[in-house]
Amino acid sequence: MNTIKELYAYRQMIVSLVKKDLRGRYKGSVLGFLWTFINPLLQLVVYTVVFSYILKANIDRYYLYLFVALIPWIFFSSSITVGASSVVAQKDLIKKIYFPRMVIPISYVTSCFVNMLLCFIVIFAVIIVTGVGINFAALLTLPIIMGVEYVMALGMALLTSAVTVYFRDLEHILGILSMMWMYMTPIMYDKSIVPDRLMPFFNLNPMTHVIECYRTVLYNKAMPDLSTLFFASGLGVAFLIIGCLVFNKLQRHFAEEL
Amino acid sequence: MAQNEIAIDVNNITKSFKVFLDKGSQLKERLLFRKRSRYEERKVLRGISFQVKKGEAVGLIGHNGCGKSTTLKLLTKIMYPDTGSITMNGRVSSLIELGAGFHPDMSGRENIYTNASIFGLTKKEIDARLKDIVDFSELEEFIDNPVRTYSSGMYMRLAFSVAINVDADILLIDEILAVGDANFQAKCFNKLKEIKSHGTTIVIVSHSLGQIEQICDRSIWIHEGLIRAEGPPKEIDLEYLDFMGQKLQESTRKELEEKNQQEEEEKSGSEQETEENTEAEETPEEKKRWGSGAARIKRIKAFTSDGAEQRIFRTGEDIKFRLDYTVKETVKDAVFGIGIFNRDGVQCYGTNTRIDKHPEFDLDKNGAAEITLEKVGLLPGEYLIDFAIETGDGIPVDYYREAYTIEMISAAGDVGIARITHNWSI
Repeated sequence: MNTIKELYAYRQMIVSLVKKDLRGRYKGSVLGFLWTFINPLLQLVVYTVVFSYILKANIDRYYLYLFVALIPWIFFSSSITVGASSVVAQKDLIKKIYFPRMVIPISYVTSCFVNMLLCFIVIFAVIIVTGVGINFAALLTLPIIMGVEYVMALGMALLTSAVTVYFRDLEHILGILSMMWMYMTPIMYDKSIVPDRLMPFFNLNPMTHVIECYRTVLYNKAMPDLSTLFFASGLGVAFLIIGCLVFNKLQRHFAEEL
Repeated sequence: MAQNEIAIDVNNITKSFKVFLDKGSQLKERLLFRKRSRYEERKVLRGISFQVKKGEAVGLIGHNGCGKSTTLKLLTKIMYPDTGSITMNGRVSSLIELGAGFHPDMSGRENIYTNASIFGLTKKEIDARLKDIVDFSELEEFIDNPVRTYSSGMYMRLAFSVAINVDADILLIDEILAVGDANFQAKCFNKLKEIKSHGTTIVIVSHSLGQIEQICDRSIWIHEGLIRAEGPPKEIDLEYLDFMGQKLQESTRKELEEKNQQEEEEKSGSEQETEENTEAEETPEEKKRWGSGAARIKRIKAFTSDGAEQRIFRTGEDIKFRLDYTVKETVKDAVFGIGIFNRDGVQCYGTNTRIDKHPEFDLDKNGAAEITLEKVGLLPGEYLIDFAIETGDGIPVDYYREAYTIEMISAAGDVGIARITHNWSI
């Protein structure tokens, strides 16, 4: 409870760190902020070429099918992989000055989140330009889906960023883990092609439900089955609580370990 | 003492650090080199308790590594004590790290927002303080330029202005007043006094005892992780200085003795060799030394009034220098001179035997000259001393610049170059 009160008092710090991160990310590059859009677009081109022309996924408008899933996934995976080193990266600040340490992973995940929102501009542009159209009623559920994903990403980031301080290998391990996780989530392929034997496993993966919901709203233009989200949100809250507890315990010795 | 009058309550805290001899934080290193992650536990704080009343200013003093900075870090909650507890009542601001989170590409104004937000201020609160901060930093014209274009002085001024304008209930300061030029330092100092007069509790760690005496109501002397003494700054600081002075004098005395011993040992070898050695040793110093070379200053020693060799003196003490010199050719009507310079190159005093109308003398064989400076009023700091031998008409025989260094120490807070004996009558 105290933590929440303190975090609220430091809200301006979160805002400025997010701003600083978004502005500083592409500082010095020629295209600057445009990279926020170019990066996912190029990834999209690569995956589309591979899966539409070489591997032939046989999915209608595969580019959009992939895009609406890939953007949320990039947010989630960068939150946990790059987020893992966020505390270590701010060691100068942590060693020298007091502030609630949680501010750092929170602002990192938030800046990834804002980045995702910006990418959604591109998604909507693609949807409108290609004439796919939008289901506005279904669109209203989008903030809920995003919220669930944010909570999950934050919980994971709290956990990984705190553990990385003591165990630096985690950064690299997470790189591999997140790749595995990506292929075990129906992002590039449809859930229907998953063998039955593996199905329970896929259903346990909270990201499966999150991604499916995004896809239902944006690609299928249908109301998502929010009940599938209950499981994901329950797990998200669990992640967040565990993340907070672990972070709070570990942060006491940050200044000495860094 | 009523509970609500206490701003800081430190209750028997201890803290030790693990000093890793060779630490690996990677899995491979941890598994393969288990033995390597041996560490020594160093107890920095061994049980410290004190209370600070609201509105009180306390100075923490002690030599390097005594634990005073660690104590301050524990107060800010950057670190946590191993045992014991700390209670802080009120909003804490620390002037430990200035300019935290400054981004060089962002403007001064934007950095004020970032930096102040790290102190826990909301946008509204920063808006309200912005003018004060900018005014105090004297950087109005530059406030919209990127911080990377600032000089380091401007940078520190901006950083300090932000930190000092966070209206905290408790202000923790670590060696802060070493920023900027003398004018800005004075301004910071006055601001601190103003803040104190508004009832802010202040804890300062500083080596500048003068500053502590001016601001603080109480000094706490931490020695090897324990509180050794506490009380009014004037008394505690003096006690501390005395202790430090003695320690310093002891250690330099030891050093000098060792050096002398070495020299003695060298001497006990071949006399011829020593002669050559000294000649060879002197060459790199040639730039600082010039003259005809007919006579040369061979060795300089300084002594306290009780005859002990020393290079650290207290303001007001007598200092005796002895110059051993060697003579190659007779110097007729010779003159010995001395010049004392402070670290800024300002000559504090200079004289010679001619000025002092010393009876004329010739140098015709090796010997020693002595000069005693009585009740030297030089204020604390390092002083470089030139010695010279000249002929009667002012031609240098051996002019030796920066031949010797002495250090002055003092507990009093008077300022300037030298103490002038004085009396007040009011």
